[in-house]
Amino acid sequence: MLPKRISQFLIIYFLGLGLLLAIKYCFSLSDYVIPGFTDIENTAADVFGRYLRAVLDTLGVAVIGHLLAIALATVVAIAGRGDNLVGAMIKTAAYNLQAYPIVAVAPIIFILLGDGLPSRLLIAAIICYFPLLLSFIGILTEPVASIEHFYVVTGRMRWQLEVKIRAFENIHKLMTVVTGSATLAMVGTIVAEFIGADSGIGYSLRIALYQSDMAKVLAALFLIGVFNSLYLVSLELLGLVIQKNMGVEPRMN
Amino acid sequence: MLLQCRNITYRYPHGEALVFNQLNCRLADPGFHGLFGPSGVGKSTLARIIAGEIIGFAGEITRPDNAVMLYSCNTERLPGWSSVGDHLAKVTPASQLPLLRELITAFDLNSCLDSRFSQLSLGQKNRANLTRYLLQDFDLLIMDESLANVDEATRKQIIATIKKMFPDKYFLYISHSVAEVSTFCARILVLRDVLKSPQIIEVAGRDQHGDTAMDRAVLERTMLEIVHAA
Repeated sequence: MLPKRISQFLIIYFLGLGLLLAIKYCFSLSDYVIPGFTDIENTAADVFGRYLRAVLDTLGVAVIGHLLAIALATVVAIAGRGDNLVGAMIKTAAYNLQAYPIVAVAPIIFILLGDGLPSRLLIAAIICYFPLLLSFIGILTEPVASIEHFYVVTGRMRWQLEVKIRAFENIHKLMTVVTGSATLAMVGTIVAEFIGADSGIGYSLRIALYQSDMAKVLAALFLIGVFNSLYLVSLELLGLVIQKNMGVEPRMN
Repeated sequence: MLLQCRNITYRYPHGEALVFNQLNCRLADPGFHGLFGPSGVGKSTLARIIAGEIIGFAGEITRPDNAVMLYSCNTERLPGWSSVGDHLAKVTPASQLPLLRELITAFDLNSCLDSRFSQLSLGQKNRANLTRYLLQDFDLLIMDESLANVDEATRKQIIATIKKMFPDKYFLYISHSVAEVSTFCARILVLRDVLKSPQIIEVAGRDQHGDTAMDRAVLERTMLEIVHAA
């Protein structure tokens, strides 16, 4: 699983790098626009320690933001799964809000909360929250009639049991959605750091942009890709463990 | 009398054609009764109307107050997070635990108790599902092809067990097998196409108990009667 994810990333990364270098040599671009391979290597070695800490900082925020989004989406989806006024309101709000580019709200969050951890965390959580919420609502709203019927007609159905049945029957989908939203959490954190934070790899990217230093950007992208792959693999492994413990035939995304 | 349906008229939501038109039927005495008819004629729909799971029909259903009518079918599943034995124990009222043990033996479920539902054969799934319904408090249990995947010998044994253990309860057994309903059912409600009137014809079945001998000629007459009625 890990070698597959990492090798997929490395293939894409080095294809992109090769394309950049091809453009550089085809159009005789200067090292100022696109640095040579040796420059990239030297810069990467130079910033490796600093960028590694920044990526770990970003990853930590993304993981916490992702967990918050999962918890909040679970609670709201449970409340919104019903065929009642509250459910209708939550579904309408979710469908309308998710259509808005949430990242555009980021400046307001920075103005209100400053450029520290809370802003990064909130933006990371918000960006992966709506896709999670819509999927969770979809899954928890759909009855599993073949299992639920017995509990309904014998008067045993409770909301906890209903949620358990629907979540259990859709565990593969849930794990896919959770894993898929992990990248969004990482994206959200980097975007937040890029816009206004004072730490993290997004902040480092902003500095590199101001310096027009593509070698630093490429070094940052490499580390972001590696650690994002590690996070996705961790979630996939966690998903397999959960499925195994629940007695479901483990299935990889 | 437990149940009487008078002038039931029904069409599916968003459907054009009628499924039932002025349909009348009744279940007068406890026992093992049958609901027979060609595919698509509305047997399951009628069963679910009787059980109170479908509303929005015209006509009247008369039943005693507090009568419990359960509908079960062969496509139902037990949750997969625990074993069949754990699930059965959990949905069995304390007073019914001795009955649970009896049914497990009678339905030959001992070997499945530690397995998850998905690991069972189709016949075992049908038997496990039927078992949990029999453990509930009910007056009428509708068995919609509940033994469809069970082999003939086991099916015969299960029906005999049900008749012996629940002599005061009402059962409505939906099946496509004319031989089966003729042999085991006391009364057979033959459901016919909506264009025919009356839409239900009641035929007396042979109501076989256990291994009692069956007159082949009489059984064949009953089968012919049902086939002609349909």
